[in-house]
Amino acid sequence: MKEAVRIQSDDFSQDEEIRALKATSLRIGGIATFVGCARDFSEGREVTQISFDAYGSMAVSEMSQLRLDAIAQFKLLDARIVHRICTVTAGENIVFIAAGAEHRAAALDACRWMIDELKVRVPIWKKEVTPEGETWVTSHP
Amino acid sequence: MIKVLFFGPVVEHTGCNAMSVAYQPGMSLQNLRDQLAVQYPRAFEIVCLVAVDGHHVRDLSMPLADNSEVTFMAKFSGG
Repeated sequence: MKEAVRIQSDDFSQDEEIRALKATSLRIGGIATFVGCARDFSEGREVTQISFDAYGSMAVSEMSQLRLDAIAQFKLLDARIVHRICTVTAGENIVFIAAGAEHRAAALDACRWMIDELKVRVPIWKKEVTPEGETWVTSHP
Repeated sequence: MIKVLFFGPVVEHTGCNAMSVAYQPGMSLQNLRDQLAVQYPRAFEIVCLVAVDGHHVRDLSMPLADNSEVTFMAKFSGG
């Protein structure tokens, strides 16, 4: 089984990740997932590609701690976080987050919390490629 | 020596993603930052986060040990 927290260049399989999450406990009654994908438009400009750079070892360490924090804070039964570090085009997957809990409220709250925390804690940077040139993204609503 | 790393938008202004800086006994993170900011002023305009040996550090008065790995980072934009 793949690690619960990973960075990788290849795409991920949501089915595979959910299957792995469910395999950890039969007490899971709710699973919430978030998939971040590439848009073809940002701040009024066409975006043809998005490429990512990461401080790999720290990113995995921070994502692992973030997962443990979420499990403790929301009493999750398990959670998974996968982030791609590569160049993607519009529609392609970027990040996958899943939270499994006994009930839906904890799963939904934890999923939202994890993606929000990932954006401020994990050293990953995205660069948008547009017909006018390339721009590193410095804000992330 | 101190190993210094840069990523993403910061590399645009340093032109490199890693360098070595001579370790001076008693040097702090702030000393290192000040030294590099003179060399790469544009890069340090966007540096707002620092990690030492892979851990976030907010107190720049922190003394550095020889062979530390220091990373000066711009605001994250993953996800």
